[in-house]
Amino acid sequence: MSTVATQPHTYSGPLGFVRDTLLLTGRSLRAIPRVPERLLDVTIQPIIFILLFLYVFGSAIHVPGISYKDYLFPGIIAQTLAFGVIGAGTATSADMAEGVIDRFRSMPISRLSIITGEVVGQVCEQVLGVAITVGFGLALGWSPHLTVVHGLELAGLMTLGLFAFTWCGILFGMLVRSPDAVQGMGFIIILPLSFIAGVFVPIAGMDAIPRAIAHWDPISALVATVRSLTTPGYHSAGSWQLDHPELAMLIWCLLLMAICVPLALRRFNRTLAA
Amino acid sequence: MAASAISTKGLTKRFGDFVAVENLDLEVEAGTVVALLGPNGAGKTTTVRILATLLRPDGGTAQIAGHDVVREAAQVRALISLTGQFAALDKNLTARENLVLMARLRGRARREAQLIADELIARLDVLDFRDRLVKNLSGGERRRVDLAAGLIDRPQVLVLDEPTTGLDPRSRQVVWTTIRELVGDGVTLLLTTQYLEEADALADHVVLIDHGRSVASGTPAQLKAQVGQQRIDVIAADSSAFDALVSVMAERFDVTSRPEQRTVSVPAPGEAGDLARVAGVVEASRIHVDEIALRRPTLDDAFLALTGHAADAPEDERELTAA
Repeated sequence: MSTVATQPHTYSGPLGFVRDTLLLTGRSLRAIPRVPERLLDVTIQPIIFILLFLYVFGSAIHVPGISYKDYLFPGIIAQTLAFGVIGAGTATSADMAEGVIDRFRSMPISRLSIITGEVVGQVCEQVLGVAITVGFGLALGWSPHLTVVHGLELAGLMTLGLFAFTWCGILFGMLVRSPDAVQGMGFIIILPLSFIAGVFVPIAGMDAIPRAIAHWDPISALVATVRSLTTPGYHSAGSWQLDHPELAMLIWCLLLMAICVPLALRRFNRTLAA
Repeated sequence: MAASAISTKGLTKRFGDFVAVENLDLEVEAGTVVALLGPNGAGKTTTVRILATLLRPDGGTAQIAGHDVVREAAQVRALISLTGQFAALDKNLTARENLVLMARLRGRARREAQLIADELIARLDVLDFRDRLVKNLSGGERRRVDLAAGLIDRPQVLVLDEPTTGLDPRSRQVVWTTIRELVGDGVTLLLTTQYLEEADALADHVVLIDHGRSVASGTPAQLKAQVGQQRIDVIAADSSAFDALVSVMAERFDVTSRPEQRTVSVPAPGEAGDLARVAGVVEASRIHVDEIALRRPTLDDAFLALTGHAADAPEDERELTAA
């Protein structure tokens, strides 16, 4: 240890936090290509849903006033966002069980940066998933009609949504300590909620009980937002949140963050690796 | 006079009804090596996790170089480095990437961090596998990388939690050599171990802990004096052989016998020389024996001698210490 004789520079305050967050985000990002099953969740899964519903079930589904292709893609994009809960949860749960988090926690770095590094890394992974879904949709002939204003609105709401659902997944991953359990429970909760949310078939035609759930399902707000911003002339209706999808989505995202962020941070300060 | 490197007073930690650490007092002088010796579940890991600011004590105080681990956690984290029982590395990064990341998180610029990583890679014999992902390394290789990560920026106080448990002999040797070098450099070291042999080889001072309490402490020599010396056990092939063996051996040596195990024991302060003499006597008597072996005092012997009950170490670990 003789050739590096100088003392390390100490970064503190906001600068230290940003520096630590960037370093730890880099760590999360490098894991993506090295854990192929994680990448498959955000890439192959939406593609399979698209193919199944567009070419298998789609022929039997009739949505008045809109082609099924234009109906389906906004739904799948929103569903990809919602599935981020499972992805972020699984990755967090696996990470928290590793001794490396303990190493970070016992180092003179900002503790918050350990979580924010995780969040930013996860969000990047989800962005990749959404980009693949959109790209695949465009390749199959989906043609969204976006004005500049709507485009910016959509980008802003999607970014907020990515962070909100990722934080939700991170809390989930911290509460449920085994990645397999996160995966299993995640599917039991998110899969029905996303099917009910009008991703594949209109809510209006559903039976009374799922329709009632759909009217207040946060994923419905997500689906309706993407759909109404990309499809001119399309209006969702049925409940307050479906009449005002963008506002509802904004409220849901802020609400999820207001609940999940403090709980996740509190949990993190108490969580210990095995 | 500077404060002790590590000092705890009345340290207590409970998990529900279970008392993991109870009223533990420790004083470790700067530049010395102290071993916490005890079986699984004795409270060793809990103690070191409190010292590394990962757990809050329920009672008592702990200080690192005069800084309280609860109130001055930030200062403590700058002084201490913990290498845990489970490799604290990112398994999706390579060995070298891990070391560079840790160095950068400690405030080093990229180039400096790489130099530090390469130096530690050479020092801990990691060169052969530095570019392999940690998840593909063997347990011993991981532990070496882990130890390297703990040595970045030479911490004042290094805490090693069971650094050689489950390691192959080569890795154990690398770890021991590195520990000895560090101590030569003036680092204060607290290590936990289940192996009496390891405490003996490395530590200036040994604290024997059991059920969260300190049951004995002293230099390795003092503890061993209380535990008793090594001995040679001769195990007879059957009970008639045992009777013959007792009578032959008792003429020459100061024996103790355990008929239920058909074992005759002889104190063996002189190791190999004693072994040769005992073997010679047994050979000349033509009595059938199953085994003649040199036995070192084990953690079990230590516990039996100092606490009056056996340590609850798992079977396989008892065999390791007795080997």
